[in-house]
Amino acid sequence: MTRPTQNPSAAGAAPPTRAGVPAEGGTRAGAGAGGAKEGATRVGARAGVAEEGGARTGAKTPTEHSARTRAGTTPAESGTRTLGLVYPPAGRHHDYTGGQLTFIGGVAEAATAYDYDLLLSPADRASDPSFRRMIDGRRVDGVIVMEILLEDDRVEHLARTGFPFVTIGRNSRAEETGWVDLDFAGLARGCVYHLADLGHRRIAFVNRSEDLFQSGYGFAHLGLEGYTKAMAEQVLTPRAYLCDDDVAAGEAVLEQILLDDPATTSLVTMNEAALVGLYRGLTRHGRAVPRDFSVVGVAAGRWAEQVDPQLTAAEIPAKEMSRVAVDLMMRRLTSPDSPPRHVLLKPLISLRASTGPCRPVPGSEPDREFPDIDAFPDLDAFPDLPDSDF
Amino acid sequence: MDTGAATATISPRGTVTGWSEGARRLLGYRASDVVGHSAAGLLAVEGSRPAGFTRTDSREWSGTAAFRHQDGRRVELALHSYPSLDGDEKAQGFVVTATADTSEPGYDRRMVEWACAQSSVAMSTFTTRSRHWRPNTVASADTGSPYPDVLDGEGADEGFLRFVDQVAQDAEPMRYERFAPGTSSSRQHAWIIEMWPVRDPSTGRVCGVGTAAFDSSDQHWARQRLALLNEAGACIGTTLNVERTAQELADLAVPRLADFVSVDLLDSVTRGEEPVPGPVDAAVVLRRVAHQSAAEGVPEAAVHLGHVDTYPAFSPPARCLATGRPVLSGTDDPDFVQWITRHEARSASVRAYGFHSIMAVPLLARGITLGVAVFARGSSSDAFEQDDLLLAEELAGRAAVGIDNARRYTREHANALALQRSLLPHGLPRQAAVEVAYRYLPAGTGAGVGGDWFDVVPLSGTRVALVVGDVVGHGLHASATMGRLRTAVRTLADVDLPPDELLTHLDDLVTHLTYDDESIPEEMPSAGEIGATCLYAVYDPVSRVCTLASAGHPPPVVLYPDGTVSVVKLSPGPLLGVGGLPFEATELELPEGTLLAFYTDGLIEARDHDIGLGLDRLCESLGSPTPSLEVTCDAVLKALLPDSPDDDVALLLARTRALHTDQVAAWSLPSDPAIVADARAQASRQLALWGLQEAAFVTELVVSELVTNAIRYGAVPIGLRLIRDRTLICEVSDASSTAPHLRRARTYDEGGRGLHMVAQLTQGWGTRQTPTGKTIWAEQPLPVS
Repeated sequence: MTRPTQNPSAAGAAPPTRAGVPAEGGTRAGAGAGGAKEGATRVGARAGVAEEGGARTGAKTPTEHSARTRAGTTPAESGTRTLGLVYPPAGRHHDYTGGQLTFIGGVAEAATAYDYDLLLSPADRASDPSFRRMIDGRRVDGVIVMEILLEDDRVEHLARTGFPFVTIGRNSRAEETGWVDLDFAGLARGCVYHLADLGHRRIAFVNRSEDLFQSGYGFAHLGLEGYTKAMAEQVLTPRAYLCDDDVAAGEAVLEQILLDDPATTSLVTMNEAALVGLYRGLTRHGRAVPRDFSVVGVAAGRWAEQVDPQLTAAEIPAKEMSRVAVDLMMRRLTSPDSPPRHVLLKPLISLRASTGPCRPVPGSEPDREFPDIDAFPDLDAFPDLPDSDF
Repeated sequence: MDTGAATATISPRGTVTGWSEGARRLLGYRASDVVGHSAAGLLAVEGSRPAGFTRTDSREWSGTAAFRHQDGRRVELALHSYPSLDGDEKAQGFVVTATADTSEPGYDRRMVEWACAQSSVAMSTFTTRSRHWRPNTVASADTGSPYPDVLDGEGADEGFLRFVDQVAQDAEPMRYERFAPGTSSSRQHAWIIEMWPVRDPSTGRVCGVGTAAFDSSDQHWARQRLALLNEAGACIGTTLNVERTAQELADLAVPRLADFVSVDLLDSVTRGEEPVPGPVDAAVVLRRVAHQSAAEGVPEAAVHLGHVDTYPAFSPPARCLATGRPVLSGTDDPDFVQWITRHEARSASVRAYGFHSIMAVPLLARGITLGVAVFARGSSSDAFEQDDLLLAEELAGRAAVGIDNARRYTREHANALALQRSLLPHGLPRQAAVEVAYRYLPAGTGAGVGGDWFDVVPLSGTRVALVVGDVVGHGLHASATMGRLRTAVRTLADVDLPPDELLTHLDDLVTHLTYDDESIPEEMPSAGEIGATCLYAVYDPVSRVCTLASAGHPPPVVLYPDGTVSVVKLSPGPLLGVGGLPFEATELELPEGTLLAFYTDGLIEARDHDIGLGLDRLCESLGSPTPSLEVTCDAVLKALLPDSPDDDVALLLARTRALHTDQVAAWSLPSDPAIVADARAQASRQLALWGLQEAAFVTELVVSELVTNAIRYGAVPIGLRLIRDRTLICEVSDASSTAPHLRRARTYDEGGRGLHMVAQLTQGWGTRQTPTGKTIWAEQPLPVS
């Protein structure tokens, strides 16, 4: 899959959830027929809110009919009617993971809705021939770049040449580019707060691999940042761990966590691949989830439901992000001079079966003599948190 | 009388010429006194002569004459004159014999024979030696003879002959009763034949048998009527069923009184209502409730059972209803003919079976007319007589009382059942948590209505409460108590109390009811003590957990999807109204598709087996695979219950459903006002995923409001849940148990604009307490797609 393809049906490799999308679109179009005007008005209004409000709420995806209406006014009639997606495979064998395929499928579907084709490049650097072909050869009208690093020469190149682009994820040049991102810091923070609300005080953090972290992947850094900040807000001691993306590493990290603090009752993880190892380690230590130990993660919903017990997790809304990225791209193409737009998605933590009220490890906590004042949070006591979005 | 013959000779001129000693004895004159005197002078009336006697007659003469005895009394004498002829065959004198007795020798005997032969009583003699019968005229008549054909010597009636022989042998008189066709009709005559032995006086031996037959038809039929009436007392009204009672009347009267009987009632009577008498001169609509005929399958009936027919005002049945008096009618009655002619089916029937005589008799009881019974006789029977009419009237009267009793019972029973049914659920509310099927069977006729009940109550958050209960005893009181308990359970369930707590409240209620009932007069049946059981279960299709608590009720039976059946182990708990003891809740996690069977003790308890066996049977019948819950219901009832159960039975089957991730989404929210917007966005994304964008506007407002409230007034952890089921449900839970006092906030404004708005925008909202705090929910209809 290293060869870029121009055929949007490459998304056929996407998870089967895709099959439902055209049907869904059809339903929407049918339902919209009766109140098309109102629907269009509302959608437009919302999109405005999403932009002005610093894109805290997810930008409302244009419905199919509104997308088609706009498609007629796109200046791309003289262009290629093709979008580029630059997305290096993250699998160990340089293959696309299931989560990535969901993104690719999502982008392809969203582009199709605007009557655009998709060209996929696996480039992780600007020097990659595939990237060069796509950009220098002007084979596409615009590019969506994914898995951007904190310092990313692809982004640099695009910004320098003025080639229309948006990113999924953001980095230090965030101000200058249009992007859609997940609020990883906020998600990690939300995970900590969820556990704290359940009474947990000893909360560990399991991040992605050291390699990813060192090479500057944004979400790994933002996640750690959010975790650390939340722990500080809760006046708790942060314990963050890096963990390779596999089961054995997960098991090893859990060993380390319990070695460092046997009274640990919960953890937050951003590492999907290690989760089964974490569960396994807990079982070996006789810690039942969620009775004795709570686990909360950041993961795609489909994946979080496949483990037992099902993982309480902040969802990665891959499809939504793909759609928003394409929407931003289209805006960029329609009005090139407008300031770049930013959409930060902040999904909530979906409650499943892996978290429960804290049952402290016997002997690990001193008996409280006074009621837990944390149970009655005084709103004024919370610091006015700076918005992490724009 | 040995008087000897008195003789005298008389000359042709009438002069006594000779005088015998016998003559002297008869008349007292000596020969010297009368010889030479005129014979006529001896007559009682001077100058008269014996009738028909002439002295010139040369023929013998017999006659009587009255004479004057010497002492003056009158003597009637039978005379016989024998003329003494000369050569010219002229009488030259007469020899007259006279006897005081008018009979001649053998006359008496002949008299006996004549009397016997001409007797109006059918008499006959049987000569033993020759085995000959000598019947008198009546007895030997061709038709109508009371005797069997034996008299002809042909066609021996063995039984009769045996009697005759026995009389001859035992020399004892006997009485023999036999029936023979009457002279002019098919109606049988009854005869009593007296038999007595006849002895030869010289030898003293029995040489024959004398018989005399007497007509006892009247007594016989009177006895038959008495027997029929007697039987009527025993046969009519054996049940409290209107149709059955009517049928009993018809069955009894055929064939003994009539060839065909129909019983028709006013329509109101069959419904158990008070009969409404219509105008006298109008046509009457009657419903056929029973008929019977001598022929198989009642082919004569012109109206089918259960059908109605209109009787014109002039028809005998209608006339009888109008007057309240029996009507005897038949082909000689123009009204009858007109009635039949105008009714096609009737005229066909009358033609085919030759009905010529009918009686229409009103069914009168306690002064009200319930209907009419019509008795008919066909071509092979006599017309009805006045006696038959009296009998029919009597029979109909008895049947009418039975029918009236049955009608009144039917009405009372129907009222009680209606009351009970009105207290039970009519079609269960729509809910998606469980698929349910149920049966309620009242007890057999004896016990009356009962106090079993069940209910299915939809709760917030797509949960459902399944309830089954039993009020001990039968009758209206039990039913009424059941109604009160059911209402109470519904109310308490609506407050969303957990099962154990709900039963505690119900227990208090029953205790108060018992206290209140002390004011009810003693004569009220089973007032006072209330014995009641209840099982309350709440099933949550999201968590698939069923929470149950029991107040002395038998535990439900569970059929798991893998086919295993077990009785739920739960704390049985005290009966309601006992008080003091706690109720314990039991939690069961059920795989999707588990079948729960709730029931009352009537199902598993029966006379012929104990509870254990009943439970085993229930488990067994639940375990057998069936295509649907309805079929399972029937199979269970069939396997466990006799035809007419002693106790009432309630059975509620529920197959659990589960809500999956495509119908439920739940999130955890930090207590941070900034999260409100994220929560709105998340809800909106979820609705888009479900294809419910139309509901997004309202849902976002509801989420905003409820989450803001939870952050502002509640305690962590805070949860948000969306459920897409029959409705779209938005729930926000937090750890604080403080909740608005009024559950329904339609009229509740104090919560501020936000809650008011929620109330306006949704179809309902409310709160429920949970073990870890409270949940506030709001429900909106799904957008119509």
